[in-house]
Parts: sequence; C-alpha cells; structure tokens
Amino acid sequence: MTGTLIAQSLVNGVVLGMTYVLVALGFTLIFGIMRMVNFAHGEFYMLGAFVTFFAFAQFQIPFIVSLAIAAIIIGCFGMLIERVIFRPFRGNELNGMIAALGLAIIIQNAALIMWGADPKPMPSVATGILKLGPLIFPWSRLYVIGAAAVIIALFYVVITHTSLGRAMRAVAQDTEIALVQGIRAERIYPFAFGLSVALAALAGGLMGPVFGVSPTVGLAPMLKAFIVVIIGGLGSIPGALLGGLLLGIVESFASTFLGATVSDFLLLALVMLVLIFRPWGLMGVREA
Amino acid sequence: MRGSLIALAAAGLIATGAQAQEELKIGVLVTLSGAGATWGNAMKGAAELAAEDVNKAGGLDVGGKKYKIRLISYDDQFKSSEAITAMNRLIAEDKVKIVMGPMGSAPAVALAPITSQAKVITITMAFTPKAMNADTPYAFRPVLPTGIFAKPQADWVVKKLGVTKIAGLFPNDETGQAIFKDNEIAYEAVGAKFVAKEVFERERTDFTPLLIRIMSTDAEAIELDGNSPQTAGLIVKQARELGWDKPIIRTGGDATADILSVAGKEAAEGVYVHQPLNLGMPETKAFVDRWKETYKTEINGFTPFFYVNMHMLFEGMKKAGTVDDTDKILEATLALKDFPSVLGPVNWTGKEQFGRNHQLSAPFYVGQIRNGQAETIATCDANTCK
Repeated sequence: MTGTLIAQSLVNGVVLGMTYVLVALGFTLIFGIMRMVNFAHGEFYMLGAFVTFFAFAQFQIPFIVSLAIAAIIIGCFGMLIERVIFRPFRGNELNGMIAALGLAIIIQNAALIMWGADPKPMPSVATGILKLGPLIFPWSRLYVIGAAAVIIALFYVVITHTSLGRAMRAVAQDTEIALVQGIRAERIYPFAFGLSVALAALAGGLMGPVFGVSPTVGLAPMLKAFIVVIIGGLGSIPGALLGGLLLGIVESFASTFLGATVSDFLLLALVMLVLIFRPWGLMGVREA
Repeated sequence: MRGSLIALAAAGLIATGAQAQEELKIGVLVTLSGAGATWGNAMKGAAELAAEDVNKAGGLDVGGKKYKIRLISYDDQFKSSEAITAMNRLIAEDKVKIVMGPMGSAPAVALAPITSQAKVITITMAFTPKAMNADTPYAFRPVLPTGIFAKPQADWVVKKLGVTKIAGLFPNDETGQAIFKDNEIAYEAVGAKFVAKEVFERERTDFTPLLIRIMSTDAEAIELDGNSPQTAGLIVKQARELGWDKPIIRTGGDATADILSVAGKEAAEGVYVHQPLNLGMPETKAFVDRWKETYKTEINGFTPFFYVNMHMLFEGMKKAGTVDDTDKILEATLALKDFPSVLGPVNWTGKEQFGRNHQLSAPFYVGQIRNGQAETIATCDANTCK
C-alpha cells in the first residue's frame, strides 16, 4: 500500500515539478539577463491558459498547435510589453519590480472584465488512466511530463546552440563585456523577455486542462516560481530545473503523507531554511 | 399681490421638488473574483434584477417619495480584511443602510459587530450559525444552510446508496469548519461516519495528493459540501482521473454548472447534487429564463432567494414608510407572510434553530447529474426527502 502511495506521489510530484520548472525558467531568465523580478509572470501563465483555451476549445485547433500559438502570441505580447513598459526601468530594479506588480494587477483585472470570473470549460487533452499493477496514473498528467520535457529540451537547445541564446547567456554573465564584444543588449532584452513569458504561457496552456482556466490561475504558479528560484538560485537555469523538480516532489510527498495544510507550511519553512543557511540558493552564485 | 405670487411660485417649486426622484443607495458586498465568484455574481445579479424591477416601475414608492435604486458594489475576494474595508466604506462614505452581502462565512462573522452597531441590514449567504443568530438583529439569510438541509439529504442519500463511510474535503476556514460540523452531525444521525477528512487552503487547485490519501482509506463516498463551485468541479475531475468510481455527493450550495464546466460531462456523470430550485414552477422558470436572457450564463440556484429577499425588503420599506429606519423596516419585512414570489409563497423561519427568524424557508431538492443535466430525484423539506 505504501509502495503504491510512494509511486503515485512521485509521479504527481514530477508533474507538478515540471510545471514549476517551466514557470521558474522564464522567471529566472529575466532576472539573470535583465536583473528584473517580473511580478507579472503569473499573469502571462494565465494569458497562455486563455489563449490555449480559445484555440483548442473554441476553434478546435489541435492541442499542440494551440500551445504553439499561445507561446507565439504571448511571446510577442511580452516583447511589446518589454519595449513599452519596462525599458524605462532598465537598471532600476526596484521600480521595475513595482511596474511589474502594477502590470500584473492590470492584466488580471482586464482578464476579469473581458472574460468574467467563471472558469472556462477546458476539455481534457488525454483521457483515461494508465494502470501499472496497483498504480494508477492519469494520462492527462503523464502528458504534462512529456510535453514539459520536450519544451525544456527545446529551450536548452535554443540557449546553448543558437547565437541568440549564447548572446543572452553572455549578457547574463557580464553585460559590459558582452557589449564590448559587440552584442546588442538592446536587442537581447525584448527577446529574452518574450521567450521567458512564452515559457510561462506554455505552462499555463499545458496545465489548463488540469487546473482550470480562469483569471486568477496565475497567482499560485507565480508564488511557486518565487520559491523555486529562491531555492535554486536567482538567475541560475540549472537551479530552476533542480529547484522546480525538488519543490514538486517535496510538495507532493508532503501533501500525500502529511496533509495539505502541513505541506503548505513545510514548503515555506524550506524557503526560510534556504534563505538562512544558503541565501544564494542551491546553485546560485554567491554575490560579492 | 407680488407677495402671494412669490408664495405661489415657491409652493410650485416645493411641489415639483417633492415629485423629483430621490436616490436609494443599496450596497453589494460579495466575492467577485476567485473561486467563489459564481455565488458573488449570483447575489449581485439578484440585486440588479430586483432594482431593475423597481426602477422600471418608476421607482420605489416610500412615504410619498419615489426612490430610484442605485447599487454600489465591492469585491471582498472572500477575505475578511477586504470585506471589513469595503463595509466601512459602504457605511461611512456611501451611507447605505441595506447591503446585499456578505457572502462567505468568514467575512460575515467579521462584519457582524460592525453592521449590528451601525444598524445596517445585511442579506448573507453565510452558512455558519454565527452569521444569523440571536446576536445579529440585522442579518437575513435567504438560502438554507447546511444545518437545515444536511440531515434530510444525508438521510436520503445514505439510505439510497447504502454507504456508511464518508470521506470529506473541506476548505480550511470558517465556512469549511462550520459545514464539516453540520455534516458530521447529519451523517452520524443516520448511521454513517467520516473516515477521512482532508482540509486545505481555499485557493488550492491540486487535489491529487489529498484524493490519493482518501483512496487509501476505506471510504465509500466523497462529500463535497462547503467547497466553492470551481473547487468542487476540480475535485470531481481529479477524483475521476485517479480512478475513483464510487459516489460523489455534493450536499448543498448550487455548484452544478461549475462542476459540469470544469469536470466535463463524463466526469460529472452520477454526481449527487443539491438543487434549490424547482423548474416545474412557472414563476421560477420565468425568472431563470430572464436571467439567461440578461446575463447569458446559467443561473446559479441561489439567485432567486436573494432576489426574493431584496423584494421583501422593498415591500418592508413601503409598509414601514421609511428607507432609513432599519428597525421599522425589519419589523415590517418580518411581518410578511406567504409572500408571493418567484419561489412560490415564502415565509420566515429559524427562531428555534438559530435564535432568530431571519431565515427564508423554501423546499429544496436532491438531484443527480445525468448526461450533462441535473435531474431532480427527490423533494425535501426541513425534515425529510422523498
């Protein structure tokens, strides 16, 4: 019996973890490159869920294509937002954060006005369950693991094998030297922002069938992204990967064996421990 | 001569002044975002439709003056802190004496001292016994709370399904705690008991770990009372995804539309729900159609109750001849018997159960979701279901 519980918790934990990784990757990317904490990140997750819903449920476009459409639309929207709203705050971390907070409130309430508070009926992408002996895994959740893994792999390829990706990493490591080397940081920032919110949008669309589509779905992933990057290290991509999976698995095990309320407070206790003993995160760079 | 002309003109001005429309401000303080928004919109819409009725007829005729109803709405996000801020604003700045709301139990309990002291009449959805009792002279509750409907519904379901071991999932706040207590009493009275009780923060969307925990016990049915409509839908969906094929019961709080919307037709099939409305009654059907036409969404089963309560208060104002003296309005409203409404003739009850008869009384029904619709399978009153 316990074996079943452990296996189920593990799978659930990996599903959750993969979602968190997707959301946290974008979040940490923006911080690493632009030194900006994007408080509006959760709202791009929410917008991704909505665009996927409209494409998939209303226009009957195949799910994967709907996800791609959501990523492209939100990515472009993100680039526009970066040029229009965040450019004046480049280099000014605090005011950039506040602007992002304001943006989050605007986007969420605009969604409330446009689409109403009621949850949208998002149909399941994969139905049925996979039975391995006594273990039961819903296909809809296994689907999330697979899709997220593909997206993360693609992201990795972009970051390491394209010149744009390498330029982003250069800017993140040392902006001045990157500029000296001829990298146009001006061009990199909107692209990085667009890529990061596209990741959040993909996460939102992917989890739409699982967690629902409504204007307030962005808040929880946002908080989780914060926790992930604190644990993993703000600005570190491997850290986001590790932190996300770790968070998902710990949360799943804690919820299954200790109950939901204990799990919630345990996660935050974990954050406090990391902040006290290793504030730069598990894989972050110690700030001088 | 000139003096009397002036006097005549002045009298004419005063006369037209008396004909000019006054404004009666009514507050709406409900949850308009997040998991409980369905109910908040139901209450707000009920107030809007009642106001529309009155304004279309030329205004509320009270004490020789005609009042145009104006609604002032605030969203409390189901948080007591937001509710307190909004209510203080309604009382001090907007100067209202009647509020449609608060919706949730936690905000209701937090606001009771404020509204009682300010003598502001509230129409609440809160199920906790603390929201409408001997200590809250100005609170009305038009919908039947778990304390009333749980026992007859549990009795009927337990007999029909033959289950004795129940698992419950409840939000970790005043609503959830009060409802769990009422459910426990109801089920135990008919020989069943809770073998699992999972408590969670209201904003949670991932119930898989909690459902896994429940599935590892010997529970024979899941009870969803107290959960917001969206949450109930998510639980149904995730439970079915995990392979839970035993009964799911939602004793109370109309959530059928959201359960279908979030969980889908297939997953929702067979779920037992509480139905506050009888669509066989022509007045009720007409109201439901009016809602669909005005708001283009499915009506929530609670809406007509708030609509009726609002109209009864309007009638109370007319009979008492005042829009400000809430004590007189209370007296006149409570004197109404067999008030003709879209729910049929309604009365006030609750003195014995709650210590105050500000509870609207109406029959209710048990339904089961079949093929995307909730079909009525039993009719209930405060004692039994058939």
